[in-house]
Amino acid sequence: MSGGMQPAADPILSVRGLFKHFGGIKAANGVELAVGRHEIAGLIGPNGCGKSTLFSLVSGAVMPDKGEICFDGRAVGGMSAHRIARLGLARTFQIPALFDNMTVTENLLAAAAEGHWRGASERAAETLSLLKLEHVADNRASDLSGGQQKLLEFGRAVVRQASLILLDEVTAGVHPNIRKIILEAIARLREQGVSFLVIEHDMEMVRNVCDRIIVMDSGRVVTSGAFEDIVRNSEVMQTYLGHPQ
Amino acid sequence: MALLPANPQWRSLVLLAIIIVVLGVLPWTVNNYWLRIATGALMWAGLACSWNMLGGYAGYINFGQSAFFGLGAYVTAFLMSDPFGLAFPVTIPAGMVVTALCAVIIGAPTLRLRGAYFAIATWAFAEVLIQFSSAMDFTGGIGGIGLPPYLNERFFYFAMFGAAALTYLLTWALFERSRFGLKVKALRDHEPAAEAMGINTALVKLQTFVLSAVTASVFGAIFAYWVTFINPKSVFGGDITDQMVVMVLLGGLGTLWGPAIGGVALFGVNRLIWMYWGDTAFYIAILGTAIVLVVLFLPNGIAGLFERRKQNALDKVLDKLVGSGEGGHP
Repeated sequence: MSGGMQPAADPILSVRGLFKHFGGIKAANGVELAVGRHEIAGLIGPNGCGKSTLFSLVSGAVMPDKGEICFDGRAVGGMSAHRIARLGLARTFQIPALFDNMTVTENLLAAAAEGHWRGASERAAETLSLLKLEHVADNRASDLSGGQQKLLEFGRAVVRQASLILLDEVTAGVHPNIRKIILEAIARLREQGVSFLVIEHDMEMVRNVCDRIIVMDSGRVVTSGAFEDIVRNSEVMQTYLGHPQ
Repeated sequence: MALLPANPQWRSLVLLAIIIVVLGVLPWTVNNYWLRIATGALMWAGLACSWNMLGGYAGYINFGQSAFFGLGAYVTAFLMSDPFGLAFPVTIPAGMVVTALCAVIIGAPTLRLRGAYFAIATWAFAEVLIQFSSAMDFTGGIGGIGLPPYLNERFFYFAMFGAAALTYLLTWALFERSRFGLKVKALRDHEPAAEAMGINTALVKLQTFVLSAVTASVFGAIFAYWVTFINPKSVFGGDITDQMVVMVLLGGLGTLWGPAIGGVALFGVNRLIWMYWGDTAFYIAILGTAIVLVVLFLPNGIAGLFERRKQNALDKVLDKLVGSGEGGHP
């Protein structure tokens, strides 16, 4: 990691020397990063640079070839996805991965089914209210609009009471109203102590929401720091934004 | 005049109570011929429900369910005949234990597979049991095993009724009304997402597989005692699973009452054909036609049709009967 603002000394997530190769493709090629407690870290980089693969590696959906992943003080590299989730890590997928044949409420309850089940109904109701999904509570997930599906997937992460949420392009292609709901929810959850690692291509959102930006390219972290520092970095401009200033 | 309560839950309970009362008095209102048909219908409704646990709720298409039906049947036959001569009620839990062990041994590796691979693996397991039971002396080989006859049609009717009622009660409680059911349906719809929600999908699948297998074994045990003679083809045969699959598809995959509707409908057609045309292959043609029609016109089965329409025609009729529905009329 080079230059810029560094995360807190006691990060909730730290990744060291993480490698994952798919044949000849180096999806993770020595990733080093950390996310501080109560921090909202943005993860940016060109398509195919390994951002979503990093999410899969951290959440246990894909096993790393080599490297260390520490979540909340515990080594979770190689641990199964459900065990990592039970430790308090939640994620969304780039393409919403909903339980299509279940209702919106059932989706939320299913997300809460493993863990703090007591009070799950109340939490589901609160999440519906937070994300303004009450009017579609009994609708099938497959019947929702694209934006509502993004909201619901985010809601599943919320209802789990996770301490770290990985959001994969959660506002991509959604209506400004839904985007506003998501951003307000993120801010409110951060106040409650939740940390976020957010993959996003929308620089406006990154600037407004994220405390710190992590830039990836070709399976590794290029740099990290405050938004203003990142946009002044010529390497980032060349590899990501494509127009050196 | 209010014939049924307005609350949908109470309405369902009243309808269920009517069904139970009708089924409860049936043995005293029909002769033995029709009682045997009713017993068979209850067995198929229960078997279809057992298949639906894994195939419908978890989305894992099991083409080897007859293996567990057959295991229950063979354990009962084996333990009731010489030299053991055990009482029938003792053999049912024994069959459940043997079936549960086999389901764990088979399910642990095969449930890592999905789709056609899982279907083929389970089908192969049933085929292995056919060959095994045909080759072994203690199973009676290809000739099968006879059981001591018990000529009491009402006993078998109520045994099947009890087993079917418990199977449906279990399905309702576990798959429709508990967080276990939420986990099962979540893994059916998106397994990686279910894992990401903290659900141990491998364990939940195995639990569902064992539950599905054990309930099928109970029907196998009662069936063996009822028909007093079994052989490998009659209890492990692939046509037994095929019928369960078609019954569930016809009735409604992943629904509570779909298997009962499909089971009773198809078994009824089977018996009608047998009555008018005898033992012909016509039923197989009916099965094939039913599959094609369901896939083309009723992807959610008869229960799905009912679900779709219940907000319309049925509710309107029932609301008229009960006077005022939810929300009330002036």
